[in-house]
Amino acid sequence: MRYGGEGRTRLLLIILIVTALFLITLDLRGVAVLDGARQGTQTILSPFQKAGNFILSPVKNFVTDITHLGRTRNQIEKLRADNAKLKADLLNRKNADAQLKQLESILDLAGTAGYKVVNTRVISQGSSQSFSQTVTIDSGSNAGIKKNMTVLSQSGIAGVVKDVYPTSALVMLASDPAFKIGVRIAGTQQIGILSGRGSRSGALQLLDNLTTVKVGDVLLARGSVANRPFVPGVPVGYVTAVDNSAGEIAQTGTVRYYTNFGGLGVLAVVVAASSSNPGDALVPPKPVPTPIPTVTVYVTPSPSPTK
Amino acid sequence: MLTRQISLSAPIFLSIFIFQEAVVNQFKLPGGGFSLFGIFALVWAVISTPEIAALTGFGAGILMDMSHSAGGPVGQWTLIMIIVCYGVSYLGYGDGNINGNPIGVVFFVVVANLITGLLFLASSALLGVTTGSFGQILLTLLGNSLWTLVLTPIVLPVFSFMHHLVFETRSVL
Repeated sequence: MRYGGEGRTRLLLIILIVTALFLITLDLRGVAVLDGARQGTQTILSPFQKAGNFILSPVKNFVTDITHLGRTRNQIEKLRADNAKLKADLLNRKNADAQLKQLESILDLAGTAGYKVVNTRVISQGSSQSFSQTVTIDSGSNAGIKKNMTVLSQSGIAGVVKDVYPTSALVMLASDPAFKIGVRIAGTQQIGILSGRGSRSGALQLLDNLTTVKVGDVLLARGSVANRPFVPGVPVGYVTAVDNSAGEIAQTGTVRYYTNFGGLGVLAVVVAASSSNPGDALVPPKPVPTPIPTVTVYVTPSPSPTK
Repeated sequence: MLTRQISLSAPIFLSIFIFQEAVVNQFKLPGGGFSLFGIFALVWAVISTPEIAALTGFGAGILMDMSHSAGGPVGQWTLIMIIVCYGVSYLGYGDGNINGNPIGVVFFVVVANLITGLLFLASSALLGVTTGSFGQILLTLLGNSLWTLVLTPIVLPVFSFMHHLVFETRSVL
């Protein structure tokens, strides 16, 4: 059925569309007012995100067992309530322990390389509706974080600071399709460019057609001018597949990131790099295979078989 | 009248937007998760007049653009939401089989959600915003659509009731 007041509605529609196009043009031209509006929105949202993160931490670990709140009429009810409270405490403790473990690993990594870091917690995952991979952390410019700083996880590179607000910052994860980082292969020092693919694997493109890469090679960040956006020496991932197509100018490959982007709880932003390049010092140790015990059974046949 | 309706709608939109950013975005769900705010805006548009739907799209799009995790420039989501919200409302307006029937509304919202994603991809390609590999995009589009299909029937009565409170023009779905 056709809508009655079409003339007025069409005029309104045109005005709204023109306004949207006007906004896009202003933003693409870098008008600061729009950045300010986004910053203001994030400043307002940040306390809500922190509260949401605090409240939902146990739920986020897919374990919820909050029952019997306030009804303690008899001893059994009281014990059940105590039990639920202890379970909730245990969940919070497990969550805190997991975050502590991540933090320890991050500090080990940063300490070995001599990075000065700001530790932060992830307070929100970015919306996947925009096909981007981002997280929000609970520290911002007030803690000395600036745009284009390297972000570390417990295992290696996590991403780069994309936007900074007073009390929070947006981190573009290394898995984001727009993410690109210059890498070198530990040991051989061959260089290449690694791009995100939207998942835990990345695409490696070597720059030199005379060099080769093999499965298992470890990739480290090459570093940038003035250490921004990337400090050198950070473990990035390892090569899982190599493409030797004849048509390729240089070798390409698939890389698995060390960082598990699905379980980020604590991150560290590198606010100052060490004066010297850590080289290959941060290459993670290869996993030691667990020895499998061998059991040998000797069977001696009986001298006279029984009937 | 319109001013009163907008002033009543604005706090509802803001609350759901904050809920989306503070609560829904805490979870990394399989298949890319869902946008409760997107579903809300589309439901609101489907059961409104085209004029209100266009304004709904504008308001919802502005809020989505203000989200720090919005990938593209400010105005991109605004443009997409205006077009989609107006489109679904225009196509379904006055047809009781579509906007008076919960199944019709769910169908429209799911399709509109998918079109929103496709329009975002198309406009991103024009504006030079990187959106990822084909497989990842397909997974996100399918995941979002499935989540929308599952969630819309659950939240539709609540959203419809809110719409009824603001506009007082129709029965609750």
